[in-house]
Amino acid sequence: MDLSQDEYLLLLLSDGNLPTGSFVSSSGLESFVKHGFLGLDTATKDTETPIPRLSKTDGTVNFIRDSLFTYAHTALPFVSDAHITVSRLRDEIASGPPPVELVEEVEKALLELDELYECMMLNHVARRASQAQGVALLTLYSKGFTKPSLVALPAIDTKDSTAQDTFLTLIDDMKLRIRASDTPGHLPICWGILTAALGLSLERSQYLHLFLQARSLISAAIRMNTIGPYASQQLLLHVIKPLCDSALKQTSHIRTQASAKSKNINDEERSTPYEDDDGPATTWPLGEILGARHDLLHSRIFNS
Amino acid sequence: MEKAQRVHGKGKAVLRAYGTEVAFEEMSYTYPLKLLSPKTSASKPIAIVYAMSYGGGLVGGDHIDLEIDVGAAAGLVVLTQGSTKVFKTRPHSYRPSSLSASDLTTQALHVNVASRGSFFLLPEFVTCFKDAQYNQSQKFQFHEDSTVVVLDWITSGRLSLGEQWSFTRYRSTNEFWMSGKRVAKDVLLLDDSQSNLPPLGPRPLESRLYPYSCFATLFLFGSDVQNIVNSLNNDLANVSQFQSPSPMDLIWSLSSCGGHGTVVRLAATEAQMIRLWLRTALGPLKDVIGIDIFEKAFI
Repeated sequence: MDLSQDEYLLLLLSDGNLPTGSFVSSSGLESFVKHGFLGLDTATKDTETPIPRLSKTDGTVNFIRDSLFTYAHTALPFVSDAHITVSRLRDEIASGPPPVELVEEVEKALLELDELYECMMLNHVARRASQAQGVALLTLYSKGFTKPSLVALPAIDTKDSTAQDTFLTLIDDMKLRIRASDTPGHLPICWGILTAALGLSLERSQYLHLFLQARSLISAAIRMNTIGPYASQQLLLHVIKPLCDSALKQTSHIRTQASAKSKNINDEERSTPYEDDDGPATTWPLGEILGARHDLLHSRIFNS
Repeated sequence: MEKAQRVHGKGKAVLRAYGTEVAFEEMSYTYPLKLLSPKTSASKPIAIVYAMSYGGGLVGGDHIDLEIDVGAAAGLVVLTQGSTKVFKTRPHSYRPSSLSASDLTTQALHVNVASRGSFFLLPEFVTCFKDAQYNQSQKFQFHEDSTVVVLDWITSGRLSLGEQWSFTRYRSTNEFWMSGKRVAKDVLLLDDSQSNLPPLGPRPLESRLYPYSCFATLFLFGSDVQNIVNSLNNDLANVSQFQSPSPMDLIWSLSSCGGHGTVVRLAATEAQMIRLWLRTALGPLKDVIGIDIFEKAFI
């Protein structure tokens, strides 16, 4: 078997042991369960009070479905734009060190994306989780994916070392800014930066991001005991794949329009009345409410 | 295919304060938009505008553009008369039912609030009827010492006809800019694009939002409404959620956002529950906009 670099990266990045801190996040599942929504179905709407009727596994699948779609609609455009932005550097590196102006331009665009995501994330619990996982990904690049200096490993060639130096500088700078609270450092932006720096293709970066989000929901469900470890594998094989496929199909083309300047919406010359008709959006308002109520839970095993 | 007649209603209202009085420097509107400003008995420089559409509803292809400018130290309360109903086609119309899928109904609102100005958007809810497509886009620009309160809410449809989230598409954008910097942007998209994803079973909008038939978002900016925010935070501080056997009839959350703003989200099985909740929670507004105007907002 001959694995391409892209395929091998997929193996590494999908490792559940990666120190990304996602294990402390349930993305609202814990709150969803505690508030009595697990297994709820419209079939009970004729009864006086809505009572959960579906099995815990079915209820978990419905949660994952609703949660994954709203996540894809809000976060994936930021993954895409961050990846595309950083890939501009990679294209340039093929012909030597990128000009300073380009590095600055890329960094500015990333900060704009981060700022817009912060503005659009109006749920403090999810915001907290996203920031914690974002900075962990940047650390992962500098500590976990740079080439180690080993006797057994010859020095890297000039082109590879230019790439590594460029991305390391960019990522270290982002980390400094995050530490100084200059920028929040949200997960989708940091994921786009990391995967573009590693040279993973945009399509694979998008797919993997949704897959990891879905799998972290599955892991949370196992910890919450709403599904068992064997059922989780069944879901990953038979349910998560079609979910990721269709979520990706619906959202992979969406861009953030972060760099589009503020326009007067009454402008006569506008070509379409709603410039952001296809921009990032929340598709599950109930999930927003339940997610933000996480901190109100009497006892909790997750941070979000 | 015959193209539906597109109606583009535009409106503009410019309000200025003169001491304890206010006056509209400009107030204009075109069909199907209508603006009405009844006299108020307030002793403050504050005015009301009712933004209405003729016939009480909007149909596929209708576009409404409203621009509002609130001057320094002036206050404006924008209300609607009854809920905003969004039809797929104009009722009792002789027009052939050849509307294309792109016959979207849109409403755009652009509000500028000057320093020390205040703006309150407290409309009735939006109801999208079966098969309707609606896009609402609102942008608010203000200053650190302005007050901005925006309510945006939607119900599931004509309950009397058994409609439960059976419109085609609803998209609502609320964007807040404080002193030239974007501090919050909320985009809600409700459609049934996820309902059928073979090989998985259907998951219609109604199931995703069950058991609720009304969702509201409330944005609060400015020191005049800080007491409301504090009181809501106190309410939540007393909540300790144990395992519940079934969902509450009304559920809400509060998060702070940029520019010292606050966003409150609510869901309820009936719109009336949210109305009562708002009436209580926003009670302190009586001191800001006066009791008469407050009563008009929450009939």
